Amino acid sequence: MSSRKKILLKVIILGDSGVGKTSLMNQYVNKKFSASYKATIGADFLTKEVLVDDRLVTMQLWDTAGQERFQSLGVAFYRGADCCVLVYDVNNSKSFDTLDSWRDEFLIQASPIDPESFPFVVLGNKVDVDESKRMISSKRAQAFCQSKGGIPYFETSAKEAVNVEQAFEVIARNALAQEESQDFNPDFPETIPINIGEENQGCSC
Amino acid sequence: MATPTSPAAQDAPAEPPSPPSPTASFYDMSDDEEGGYSTIRHSKTGKGVKLLYTKSKVYVHPSPSAKDNIPGYIALIQQKPGLERTVSATPQSSRIHAERNGLLLAWVPESSLGSASDIYTKVELADGDSPPKQSYLVPPPPITTAHSSSLGTYAFAIPLTEIFSILVRPPSVGWWFGSVIINTRAGDSFPALFFHDSECQSTIQQRKKLQRESLEISASGQGMFWGGDEVLRWLKRYVTVERSVQEPNIYLIEPSEADKLSFGSGGKPTSDNVRNVLEGKAKDHPSPSSRNKDAQMDPVMQALKSARWNFLEKMAQVTTFTRRTAQAVAENKNLPPQVRRLLQNPQVQTVSDEFDSARLYLARWAMGIAEQSEREKNQRMWTAKDVLDMEDSELGEFEIVDAEQMSLADKRKPVTLKEWNGFFNSRTGRLEKTPDEVKERIFHGGLNADDGVRKEAYLFLLGVYEWDSSEEERDAKMNSLRDEYIRLKGAWWERMVDEQGTLEEREWWKEQKMRIEKDVHRTDRHIPLFAGEDIPHPDPDSPFAESGTNVHMEQMKDMLLTYNEYNRDLGYVQGMSDLLAPIYAIEQDDAVAFWGFVHFMERMERNFLRDQSGMRLQLLTLDHLCQFLDPKLYDHLQKLDSTNFFFFFRMLLVWFKREFEFTDILRMWEGLWTDYLSSNFHLFLAMAILEKHRDVIIDHLKGFDEVLKYVNELSGTIDLPSTMIRAEALFRRFQRMVEAIDKKSNFPIPTVRQRLPQPPSESTTTRPGADGKPRQASQSSSESARRSANLAVIASGPGPGSSSSKAGASTSGRERTTGDAIAQGIGAEKEKVISPELRILLSKELPKLDKHEVREHGGGVGS
Ligand SMILES: Nc1nc2c(ncn2[C@@H]2O[C@H](COP(=O)(O)OP(=O)(O)OP(=O)(O)O)[C@@H](O)[C@H]2O)c(=O)[nH]1
Ligand SMILES: [Mg+2]
Repeated sequence: MSSRKKILLKVIILGDSGVGKTSLMNQYVNKKFSASYKATIGADFLTKEVLVDDRLVTMQLWDTAGQERFQSLGVAFYRGADCCVLVYDVNNSKSFDTLDSWRDEFLIQASPIDPESFPFVVLGNKVDVDESKRMISSKRAQAFCQSKGGIPYFETSAKEAVNVEQAFEVIARNALAQEESQDFNPDFPETIPINIGEENQGCSC
Repeated sequence: MATPTSPAAQDAPAEPPSPPSPTASFYDMSDDEEGGYSTIRHSKTGKGVKLLYTKSKVYVHPSPSAKDNIPGYIALIQQKPGLERTVSATPQSSRIHAERNGLLLAWVPESSLGSASDIYTKVELADGDSPPKQSYLVPPPPITTAHSSSLGTYAFAIPLTEIFSILVRPPSVGWWFGSVIINTRAGDSFPALFFHDSECQSTIQQRKKLQRESLEISASGQGMFWGGDEVLRWLKRYVTVERSVQEPNIYLIEPSEADKLSFGSGGKPTSDNVRNVLEGKAKDHPSPSSRNKDAQMDPVMQALKSARWNFLEKMAQVTTFTRRTAQAVAENKNLPPQVRRLLQNPQVQTVSDEFDSARLYLARWAMGIAEQSEREKNQRMWTAKDVLDMEDSELGEFEIVDAEQMSLADKRKPVTLKEWNGFFNSRTGRLEKTPDEVKERIFHGGLNADDGVRKEAYLFLLGVYEWDSSEEERDAKMNSLRDEYIRLKGAWWERMVDEQGTLEEREWWKEQKMRIEKDVHRTDRHIPLFAGEDIPHPDPDSPFAESGTNVHMEQMKDMLLTYNEYNRDLGYVQGMSDLLAPIYAIEQDDAVAFWGFVHFMERMERNFLRDQSGMRLQLLTLDHLCQFLDPKLYDHLQKLDSTNFFFFFRMLLVWFKREFEFTDILRMWEGLWTDYLSSNFHLFLAMAILEKHRDVIIDHLKGFDEVLKYVNELSGTIDLPSTMIRAEALFRRFQRMVEAIDKKSNFPIPTVRQRLPQPPSESTTTRPGADGKPRQASQSSSESARRSANLAVIASGPGPGSSSSKAGASTSGRERTTGDAIAQGIGAEKEKVISPELRILLSKELPKLDKHEVREHGGGVGS
């Protein structure tokens, strides 16, 4: 368990195709927005080192494809997540309606020990777009987050770097809290078989 | 090396004729009487040492460049001229003899010999089958027991008593020079000595003699006589030499009982103890568990027995190589005439007397070509460790391919429009070549990028046009296809305008339109064709209304929506825009490109099914392929929880579209569309990419995330031409291995048990091949909990049934058994089994889905 000393926070970003997951991640990590990011195929992640209350942590931000069918193969890395970010496009009501099922799917696949307390963060993206196109009001989004046990909610623009930094700060903080709560829990079932496996293999090399 | 008809046996008339025995080992060779030897027992001066045997043109390769090679002599030298005969020493006493006799194995550079060089030449050319009758004294070389690393002084002379083992590598395809590496008891390795046999007078002489005396040189399949054989024969006269069973290239010198137990015969082969033997470290190892009673068996036979797999594979490799290359090579102008003649000899194509020489000629030729290349640096200063590492590398293989590639240089030129037009009858427009010929040309050469040949050729490759059609027929077909395109386009257009259909359907169409819109604006925008935003967006509600669009993006959207109409069972799925863009870029005509795309999609449909069963099957096949071709890499990936091969998902889904530049993609796809070697050749491309990086992956990557990141970041860095060549080489190797296994399976082998009882419910209620379940079942019984957990994740798609292809459907009954067998193979003893997934890779038949399967698993709205 010594590797735990170096804190790695695993964050999964979910949401419908085209809501801006890849753009948000790149805005946060690389501080830039490009209109020509390609649709994500498979999965990828970016890492970023950040200070959370004077502690240096590495955030590993996982980005997956938004089209539902591609989720079935990609769920392997939901496991061990410390925080899940749900993204929707404020100008697209369908992407908001699916948030709930993204959340459910995540909880099933990642199966955290305490689903009730597992940290989520909701981001309503593309707030830079003309107000006339807006489909989901802040109020409605906040009500949803409230009903799910008070999920933190941010309205962001990956394009114009609005609220991105602030949102990820909260994501990092909540992820760290989640990670630490697991460390104190010796019965965390997910890690036991995995570590045994690693030890066995370690000897044979 | 163990040629049954050894020259020693031929030349020992004093011995009573022993009955010819197929199991005669090479120990026999050292048992001859040394008649005249005892007459030389005095030494005039105390200075010289006695040169017993020597061989010239033995080189040290200190640097990558052949220019730096240092020619020298390897020699067996006696320090104090012997006072006793050294005949028939028993293993227990021979070491003492060797000690008393002060025997040294030495290597001296030619340049250092001075006036002694005449003596060396004389001894070399003396009849090598018995020690010289005369005493030839030469200046003593410096005696060393450790390899000094000081540059320039490679000369050494090491007492036989100090040698722990010798690693012997006979020349082989790709390794023209045979080599030996001496490992000392202290744990040192001397630099590899390379035998340039074709320059060595004594070896040439001995070969000729052997050829005269025996017609069975290659009967053992072990290769032709070379310089290293001779050195072993010298040694066997004086000391016990025992071939390691675990590592047949290692010969132990005067092994202790413990050594024999560990490495001679019996004992568990692990890479560790092999490495220890190589490095001479293992002499004091405690013997492993109980002694194998097989130890009584002739060690050669035992080695052969355990090497049966290797041996069969080699045979298959060499015959295929010869057959395959013979023709291409025979036409090559750069080839020495004797090789050409040799290859024209039909006998070369069978395992014949000339078999070895043909092989070696080719190997040498390949070597010559490789000379300048940086790859050659691998020949420099080989140490034992390097050679062991090389065992796992692809090097030998690729030198062959290089040779072949050179010989195919003409065939690797792109097909021009002129050449293409020449394939067809000028009047009827009918193809006058066989489709296979054309496909072979395109597979190896590609199509010219600039002269417009792709525009027409793609329609053949994709199957829009029949290969045997006339021009007239093609024109008629295209006309009706254009009409059909317009009809389909009109159909969805009406849908949009009139809001037809159920609510569900209307929702689906709206969503699909949105999806296509977003994706087209994210597809290949860096290509000038798709870059512009010069026309206003037709739809003011589009998120792209502000930025504008261009005519080609609009056509892309039309074609994809038309496809959504054409194949409503599947509909548009992300990734398809990536598949369409190159075809459109070539055709630049929406109707033509659309039908090209439709045909491409027939092949790719399985990648986009809602339950992802087609992707699962391909990832599983890649899993089997890696396990089959590179078990060491596979083991590593397994430790990293990466054998789901998810990190290849992107490459397989859109055929490497995201990993290569647009121009490379065109070249690759036109090759893949030929199905020239396999309709799943893209999986060999994937393996080729993986293999290229396997050392980095094994040495440096320590987790699934690292592998994924590493592989994702290969994007834009992969060289296509060499990857295609590697892929072809891997395919050929795969094919050979399958052939060898099929041959081998004529031997009785233990039958593979089915370890998991088939749940009765499943066999009655589910069609064969449904879902990815077979995989889960096949693995879980014999692998670690982690792995099955991992697989369970992979296998747990949302939808239940998901048979994806004819292959999957027809074979999964056996899948369970063979998958299990493969799983069993993950251990020290690997029994190679060809799973149905693997066997399908030899097929060139296009993997198309049944319509009803798409309907069931497509995830569209249906008709
Ligand atoms: N106006 C505006 N457009 C955005 C913003 N974020 C993303 N986009 C655009 O929305 C489209 C989709 O963005 P991506 O970041 O690729 O979306 P994604 O969620 O990663 O999509 P998938 O990879 O398909 O799951 C692109 O055309 C982006 O340029 C934003 O904050 N404002
Ligand atoms: Mg994305």
